[in-house]
Amino acid sequence: MRKWISVLGAIAVSGSLMAGCGSKAEPGSGANAQANAAKGPDKPGKAVTIKIMNFKVEIAEQFNKLKEEYEKTHPGVKLQIDTVLGGDDYNTQLKARFASGEMPDIFNNEGYKQMDPWLEYLEDLSDQPWVKDEIAIAKEPMTRNGKVYGMPVGLEGLGFVYNKDMFAKAGITEPPKTLTQLEDAAKKLQAAGMQPFVNTFDNWFGLGFHAIDNAFAKQPDPNAFIKGLNDGSAKFTDNAIFKDWVHLFDLDIKYGNKNALTTDYNNATTMFATGKGAINQGGNWLQPVLDKLSPGMNVGIMPMPINDDEKMNDKLFVGPANNWVIYNKSPVKNEAKEFLNWLVSSEAGQKYLTKEFKFIPAFSNIKANPADIGPLSAAVQQYIDKGKVLGWHWAKFPDGAAQEFGASMQKYIAQKISSEQMLAEFQAAWDKMKSR
Amino acid sequence: MNAKPYGWKLLASEIAVVLVAALFLAPFYFVVANSFKSFAELLADTSGLPKSLDWHNYARAWDVLKFPRALRNSIVITAFSDICMVVVSSLAAYRLLRYPSRTNRILFSLFIASMVVPFQTIMIPLVKVGNWLHFLNSLPGIIFCYTGLGASFTIFLYHGFMKSIPQEIEESALIDGCTPYGIFWRIVFPLLKSMTVTVVVLQSLWMWNDFLLPLLVLQKPQLQTIQLATNSLFGQYMQQWDLALAALVMGIAPILAFFLALQRHIIQGITAGAVKG
Amino acid sequence: MRRWLTSQPIQQTVFLGPALLVYAVVMVVPFLLGLYYSFTNWNGVSSHIGWVQLQNYKTILTDDPDFGRSFWFTARFTVAVVAISNALGFAIAYLLSKPMKTRNVLRTVFFMPNVLGGLLLGFIWRFILTQSFPAIGQATGIGFFKLAWLSTEATAFWGLVIVSVWQGAGYLMVIYIAGLTNVPSDMLEAAAIDGATGWQILRTIILPLIMPAVTVCLFLSISWTFKSFDLNFSLTQGGPFKSSQSVAMNIYYEAFKNNRYGLGTAKAFIFFVVVTVITMVQVSITKKREVEM
Repeated sequence: MRKWISVLGAIAVSGSLMAGCGSKAEPGSGANAQANAAKGPDKPGKAVTIKIMNFKVEIAEQFNKLKEEYEKTHPGVKLQIDTVLGGDDYNTQLKARFASGEMPDIFNNEGYKQMDPWLEYLEDLSDQPWVKDEIAIAKEPMTRNGKVYGMPVGLEGLGFVYNKDMFAKAGITEPPKTLTQLEDAAKKLQAAGMQPFVNTFDNWFGLGFHAIDNAFAKQPDPNAFIKGLNDGSAKFTDNAIFKDWVHLFDLDIKYGNKNALTTDYNNATTMFATGKGAINQGGNWLQPVLDKLSPGMNVGIMPMPINDDEKMNDKLFVGPANNWVIYNKSPVKNEAKEFLNWLVSSEAGQKYLTKEFKFIPAFSNIKANPADIGPLSAAVQQYIDKGKVLGWHWAKFPDGAAQEFGASMQKYIAQKISSEQMLAEFQAAWDKMKSR
Repeated sequence: MNAKPYGWKLLASEIAVVLVAALFLAPFYFVVANSFKSFAELLADTSGLPKSLDWHNYARAWDVLKFPRALRNSIVITAFSDICMVVVSSLAAYRLLRYPSRTNRILFSLFIASMVVPFQTIMIPLVKVGNWLHFLNSLPGIIFCYTGLGASFTIFLYHGFMKSIPQEIEESALIDGCTPYGIFWRIVFPLLKSMTVTVVVLQSLWMWNDFLLPLLVLQKPQLQTIQLATNSLFGQYMQQWDLALAALVMGIAPILAFFLALQRHIIQGITAGAVKG
Repeated sequence: MRRWLTSQPIQQTVFLGPALLVYAVVMVVPFLLGLYYSFTNWNGVSSHIGWVQLQNYKTILTDDPDFGRSFWFTARFTVAVVAISNALGFAIAYLLSKPMKTRNVLRTVFFMPNVLGGLLLGFIWRFILTQSFPAIGQATGIGFFKLAWLSTEATAFWGLVIVSVWQGAGYLMVIYIAGLTNVPSDMLEAAAIDGATGWQILRTIILPLIMPAVTVCLFLSISWTFKSFDLNFSLTQGGPFKSSQSVAMNIYYEAFKNNRYGLGTAKAFIFFVVVTVITMVQVSITKKREVEM
């Protein structure tokens, strides 16, 4: 025992020395970084590194393949790809990197209000060749004062994902397009001994982003409605669309699984993939997960009707999954631009986008093969081609409002409040959050 | 403590405690048992024993985590932070206790008060400071952070423990011609050994499991710790509990082994009466 | 030379200097920097930092019922966890101080939950509470396991308490064991010979003598439970409907998710003051009951 302690003591002395010199030795690496920055992009000979912070864990492996291919065809340029879990972690870590002076050269931004804090650091990309080919709904989030600040990663469609085999078994021949048809379908599924909806009500974003978007998107003019909310001329409480939307929400809850408030995203996906439920609110982002859990599953995606107006309801909600943006103080921003351009204009880049990442292209000059992107994305692509799409609006909400919406909706699900109270709480949340 | 014979009353309480202990172990059973199951088996039955010992999950988790690298980083960080913390904090605690001037009493309360500061409050400013002083993205840097963040608690533990060390020994050593530094290093520090082991165990557990600080301070992949690696695996393979659980078992196994190894010393230190009241 | 080396200022520097240096760099400076931000409207990244004086504090105190609610939740949660985990930790320590055959193994077992930490602890318990509990409930028919764990306010609250106690009791047990070994056994024997019952011995001899350990345990459990973040984050995500959102979580969301860093740090500062006051009161109360040996 005594020996052990004396060994520890000896290590301790050397350890404290190390800690002492450790903090002193650091300026060296800092100077290195500055030297790199000062060298600038034009100096030939020495390889430059583009640091990319990727939010999509699903494509981490494919991204590494792309890195190899890009480095082979672009000598002198190295890609450093860091995949960070999306959502809260991503934003926190991005802020930490910013504070630490280690900003990535290319990172992700959702656009609209999420662009506000970062706007002064974003490179203006309006002059890039791909801008002219952007699909309008994909362009809007990153456009500010006529300038384009980001490149859409890909398009994603939100709706009800459904199990085609189960629908067929229950005798539903055509996916419902109105609320009444949806209720019929739910009844048929139930009569055939199957669970109609798999709901995941445990997190706020499925509710406060996705579910509620339905009611925003179906306003005659969503942007005018949001503007009205901000200046007080529009209200949740007397809005006809929101009142209709509650009916869909009711239907969803009524024909949903037990304990939906603790069914998280993973549980729900697993239930859906293993046939324990026929309908799941989601989007084509579920495809890779379903491929893993239940390869070859026969799935489709359908609209989320809030009333019986077929024309209004036969649409999916489509938006850019996220956007690539470039740090405007980056020493390699020209290389970064070149990389983004390569991604959407070269054959190899396009191949990665559609075949490997399985994104629905946000550019009119890229055509994806339905077999490559999978049945869900192919279905979304069809809706896009027919123009039967509505937008994503949650990034326009005041910061923090979506969490409040989610909490109020959970209270409604638990029957703690009435639907009028829920809409009143939406209103209160919006008013509170916009004033901060 | 008391040397009464082993009676039925004691037997009854022993049985009761063993039952409670079984409850405490139950979650480990779920983790370990399910980590050996294939995904399909896990979905069908989460509470039963695995049908066979399938090491496949572990082999995959080993690769995905880049386990050897993460393990090395975690060990280096934990070990050196422990050492720095023990030295720096025991020195400070000794001075604060033996020389309770007005300043030192204020300093002690400051140290203690900072134990209640939520880490989320200081994390972004800490990164800023780290950027100014260049201690980000390096192992010595994070060791420096841990030494500072853990100092309060360690000082607190040593301070309490040193109260029970009689001052007479130190006084006689002083008369014998020892310097205060010699007294500390040769007499006091060895007497602290049971607390030192306790400090090392408790702080190691904290640092081993810590996630936020490495997330903020270590941004290079080659510096990834076990917690960072496990967390990104959880994100990437969230639906695959089989793989995630195997990774988890691999992540806690080293610290558990460490704890079990030192556990003997803690009990030894306590029961041998290293502290004579 | 020797006199200079052993002078008080040099001693102060040698003994305290290193600790003060790391402490200042890692805790004090960031804390003061954070305090400064609490008087600004900084969003966490912008190069424009606007000084808003006490505006953030006014907003929190007058116009943020959510912050109040998360405080109330955290207070209730702390009371429950501190009471239960200390009672359990002491009970186990007391029983394990008796000459049981399995006591060395049991000490290890009770401490083991501490090797699981942070976010992963929550992920695992989520799995147990929402997957394994229903399975056990179905097999045994015991109503406790059939509850809708984590999906109502009550089950979310008690779910968090169970996991916190599960993890914390063993830690406190170690400290109580250390305290109990300081109780001289001749004193206990003498009391037993005088015919004192076990309960009397516990109350009149053991408890007063281990008050230092009680002080430490209460202080630690209060400050940890009050700061609880990881567990809420991974086990309940503050749900359902924000009912289990701890103060630390509320602060984290405000500062990072809502891009209101200034407001978040102001909250953190109020929180810090409250926790400091509570723990100071607790320490001064229990300190008074300590008996010098």
